Amino acid sequence: MNMKQLFPRGHVMGFIFSMVLTAVALGVVVYDLSFKTGMIVLLVTAFMQAGVQLVMFMHAGESEDKKAIYTNVYYALFIALVTIFGTLLTMIWGYQ
Amino acid sequence: MKIDNSLPLEYSTEENRLKILGFWIFLGAEIALFATLFATYFTLVNRTGNGPIGADIFEVTPVLIETILLLTSSFTIGLGINAMRHGSKNAMMVFFIITLALGAGFLGTEIFEFKHYVHIGAGLQVSAFTSILLTLLGTHGAHVTLGLFWGLFIVLQVKKRGLTPETTNKAFIYSLYWHFLDVVWIFIFSFVYLKGMM
Repeated sequence: MNMKQLFPRGHVMGFIFSMVLTAVALGVVVYDLSFKTGMIVLLVTAFMQAGVQLVMFMHAGESEDKKAIYTNVYYALFIALVTIFGTLLTMIWGYQ
Repeated sequence: MKIDNSLPLEYSTEENRLKILGFWIFLGAEIALFATLFATYFTLVNRTGNGPIGADIFEVTPVLIETILLLTSSFTIGLGINAMRHGSKNAMMVFFIITLALGAGFLGTEIFEFKHYVHIGAGLQVSAFTSILLTLLGTHGAHVTLGLFWGLFIVLQVKKRGLTPETTNKAFIYSLYWHFLDVVWIFIFSFVYLKGMM
């Protein structure tokens, strides 16, 4: 195998991209941002990172089960968000 | 067994394809597991009692080392699967062994970090915050520990049996697990450490 086959462009780009996103996320502790701005930066970078892993590295869309896999991932994500925000609503925000 | 040669080896039989789909469904359950831990963390993050708050105990350097080690290991296992698809067993083995070494480095740093927390008075029983913090981090760490042994057995099996529809399928599923742990870590890095230090 030559270098180009060993290190395919997509993987290298995905890796560089994930490092850049990490550096951007780190910016929230380096620069003095408001809580709201910081959280928006973190939400955007974290979900973009997850997307890079899912599509570039986990090959989520390559087989004939693409539809089932994406449905499953979106459903799990829905459950996760309902669990987290539902908990926050009932345990924290509901009392403020 | 019907083998479809137009697909990568790990997808080449119906059983293989279904095992990969099944593992994705398992990962969906893992997402739900970590969601409950994150939900509990966000609920208890301010319940610090007489113990420290996050900003008192979090340090950027070890966390950044852990993040870079895990992100790089996710990259190298991706390269390992790519090498596997090109049929290069040796390149695949090298990338898998690098991945395991980086994973061990991550775990070593995390164990050092836990020891440090206990040492500075942020052990498991100190407050609701330290309990859920160490439970969340520990659950991820336990997954990485399991992943290291799993990966080791994959490497040994590929060494012994070569690249077959079975071993490539196992290696691919293992790579899904490893990437998933990286995704969970990204959320811990962002919403536990960075948010806590902000």
